[in-house]
Amino acid sequence: MAVSPSASSGTAAPGRLAGRAAFVAGGLLLAAYPWAAPNAYLRYAGVLVVLYAALSTAWNLVGGFTGYISLGHAAFFGLGAYATGILVVRTGLPHALALVLAVAGVTAFAAAVGVAAVRVRGSSFVIVSIALVSMTNLVAQNARWLTGGSSGLRVPPLVEGLSRTANHVVFFYLFLALLGLVLATWWAVDRSRFGAGLKAIREDEDKAESLGVPTTAYKVVAYAASAAFVAAAGGLYGIWFGSLDPIFVFSIVIGANMVLMALLGGMRFLLGPLLGAFLVAPASEYFLLAYGESQLHIVLSGALLAVVVLFLPDGIIPALRATWRRRGPRAASIQERSAAELAAAREEVPA
Amino acid sequence: MTTLAVHGLTKAFGGVVAVRDATVELREGAVNGLIGPNGSGKTTLFNLVTGMIRPDAGRVTIGGRDVTGWAPHRIAGAGLGRTFQLCRVFGRLTVLENMLVAVRRTRLRELAGGLGNRADLDRARGWLARVGLEHLETAEARDLSYGQQKLLELAAVLMADPALVLLDEPAGGVNPALIERIAALVRDLNAEGRTFLVVEHNMDLVMGLCDHVVVFDRGSPIAAGTPAEVQADGRVLEAYLGV
Amino acid sequence: MSGTLLAQGLVLGILTGGLYALLASGLTLYFGVMKVVMVAHPAFLFLAAYATYALHTATGIDPLLTTVVTVPTFFALGVAVQRLLVARLAPESLATMSVLLTFALALLIEGGLGVVATGSYRSVTVDYASQALRLGSVALPADRLIAFGVAAVTLGGLFVVLRLTRFGRALRATISHATAARLVGIDTDRVTAIGFGIGLATAALGGAVLSLISPFFPAAHWAWIGRLMAVIVVGGLGSVQGAAVAALLLGVLEALLQVTWGATPAALLFYAFLFATLLVRPQGLFGGRLAQRF
Repeated sequence: MAVSPSASSGTAAPGRLAGRAAFVAGGLLLAAYPWAAPNAYLRYAGVLVVLYAALSTAWNLVGGFTGYISLGHAAFFGLGAYATGILVVRTGLPHALALVLAVAGVTAFAAAVGVAAVRVRGSSFVIVSIALVSMTNLVAQNARWLTGGSSGLRVPPLVEGLSRTANHVVFFYLFLALLGLVLATWWAVDRSRFGAGLKAIREDEDKAESLGVPTTAYKVVAYAASAAFVAAAGGLYGIWFGSLDPIFVFSIVIGANMVLMALLGGMRFLLGPLLGAFLVAPASEYFLLAYGESQLHIVLSGALLAVVVLFLPDGIIPALRATWRRRGPRAASIQERSAAELAAAREEVPA
Repeated sequence: MTTLAVHGLTKAFGGVVAVRDATVELREGAVNGLIGPNGSGKTTLFNLVTGMIRPDAGRVTIGGRDVTGWAPHRIAGAGLGRTFQLCRVFGRLTVLENMLVAVRRTRLRELAGGLGNRADLDRARGWLARVGLEHLETAEARDLSYGQQKLLELAAVLMADPALVLLDEPAGGVNPALIERIAALVRDLNAEGRTFLVVEHNMDLVMGLCDHVVVFDRGSPIAAGTPAEVQADGRVLEAYLGV
Repeated sequence: MSGTLLAQGLVLGILTGGLYALLASGLTLYFGVMKVVMVAHPAFLFLAAYATYALHTATGIDPLLTTVVTVPTFFALGVAVQRLLVARLAPESLATMSVLLTFALALLIEGGLGVVATGSYRSVTVDYASQALRLGSVALPADRLIAFGVAAVTLGGLFVVLRLTRFGRALRATISHATAARLVGIDTDRVTAIGFGIGLATAALGGAVLSLISPFFPAAHWAWIGRLMAVIVVGGLGSVQGAAVAALLLGVLEALLQVTWGATPAALLFYAFLFATLLVRPQGLFGGRLAQRF
């Protein structure tokens, strides 16, 4: 039987219950959004926000657990989008099957790339990830026979004749389901021994290896799983949006946004990337509305990223927690707590 | 059947030969000591036998099996555990998580399930109790004192149930009371059948704790024997005093 | 492929490789003094190209003479970037956070240039740059010769500074062992800031040259990140000579691929070398630090 450590302590139960209640309530509120949104534009923006939340949480499967910062996850987004689109257009496969095949293909590709990429650490890994998205962009632009190059690829809609608004509602729920799936995956990994191994890699990779963790295998699995979800989001995006252009999907800015959102919310937390996405995505949509199609949104992403890296490198969630702790009743320090817990623990542990 | 042995092991960094044609055999079931002046190649030897770096020449065997060039996690799987010179724990993992990283069985179901099954958790708590950290299992490791981190590191290594434990300067940076506690723990664990290799600068500890001592100088072993024999050896004095 | 085409490619490759070497020297400096991989270097290069363009069109002075203004400005900018931004990062996460921070700077510069200068191509044309010297059947375009000349003179100057001056000794000491350098009384903070300043000053020179040899637009710096990263990783992180040799090698191979297969394979070449080096020989072709660890 699997037992999580906090379950046995018992004291956290009321907090956990409240947390779960809040989680369910949040999910219901989100699910009600398309019906509350007053117009088609806000429904469209809602889809974008949930899409970004799914992307950033998927990114965090590798970034948050292992500490390997990939700026090039847009490569998997673009590959997922193009593979799905091309399968639908060229082979006439149903959308769902095309999506599944595309995700499987991109996952295999990511695993192969991952074997090479995760051999390098720190800034070298970041550079490799930038190189990956630049390369895939270059290839997609030049393989005109396959992708249509810069003239774009038109992906037929999921349901012919569906109104734009109805299409947004359908894809809002599809992306919401994907987000739920990614969150569930992250949550499960977080409390698993596999997750403990990944986090050990983040904290001290050589030490983890010396304790017997097969670090390369762990990193490749996390990398490929992360890429799989990002590719699924890309495939859905292609069907939803209806047209693809290499410059827009193999975009370094999309990759940077995933990192920015996860970092802003807090990479070590389940809901960190989601929180970041809910803050950044609406802000950048607002910017687009207010200032039109200019380069200002790149400035915004850059400025936010710089501010977060400089002043909030651990993200909003731990910062909020620290503030909460300072205001609320002082938490007992380890020493203060030790006597009582010592007595309690003694009873449990076989001598 | 021997435990850990190295034959003709050599490793150079650039032009500096850190370990030169070293052949060493540990005594099974003993507390082995490894001493030598600074820069004599002790840490390099540690890194070579644990797979952290690859030798230029020579072989490493564990229990007669050639493990030369194996990745560190496979060597750990072969029954060798190690601590680090400057104690290394996973700072933002809880004490209990630190313990469960080292659990060796990696079947898929166990990886995907919770942190560990009941038996693993009980074992982790048992080891924590043995080093006196059982009250801290939900604390993050970075909040522990340096001495507590050293104990946690040792306990985490023991979770993998290694037959051979390498300790890199266990007495470094800790107070005398804790040194005595670590020494007592090593004696107990040794009495239970585990072999140890201890690199240490604290001569009192080495002489009091070890059954068999190997002396390194300039990348090669120059003497071996009981603590008393080694202390009486002129070459050892020479190596330390540089005369 | 004809012999002339081959010779032409070789010559163009060497001339372009000079510019790569100049730009890689800046990256090597940042990495040397702080172990920082500065991905905003190419963005600053394009900022300098736009500054050259703006000064040239506004005042009519020669693009190469604008460096009298841009080089000191970029030097100051480099010192500011190090002092005010990079130095604030926590040392334990410096490796990844500094890449993210300089990446953010690159986005800011790209976006800023896009807003101010719009996304269209710009280029600087001066009469002398469109001339060409002929060696038999091989043409040596004047703009490329100028680029190579500027790069060679700058690299020579850097070499002299590093080898023969007191500051150069302090810089080399800081690069090889910062703690030891501090112990012997070197103000390593100051040296590090100046190292960043010099690095960005080379980007200013590179930008002036770039504005002469090719049209430019804000987002083009991404292509340069791949090129320059390949150069410094293949050359061995932190090794100036290694980077110079790798720059010439990759410059020549790029030019040869360009005249035989076209632009895409030539661009992919850099990524291929980057990946292959990291996989097979992470210390680079010519020694240097293990790229795997940074």
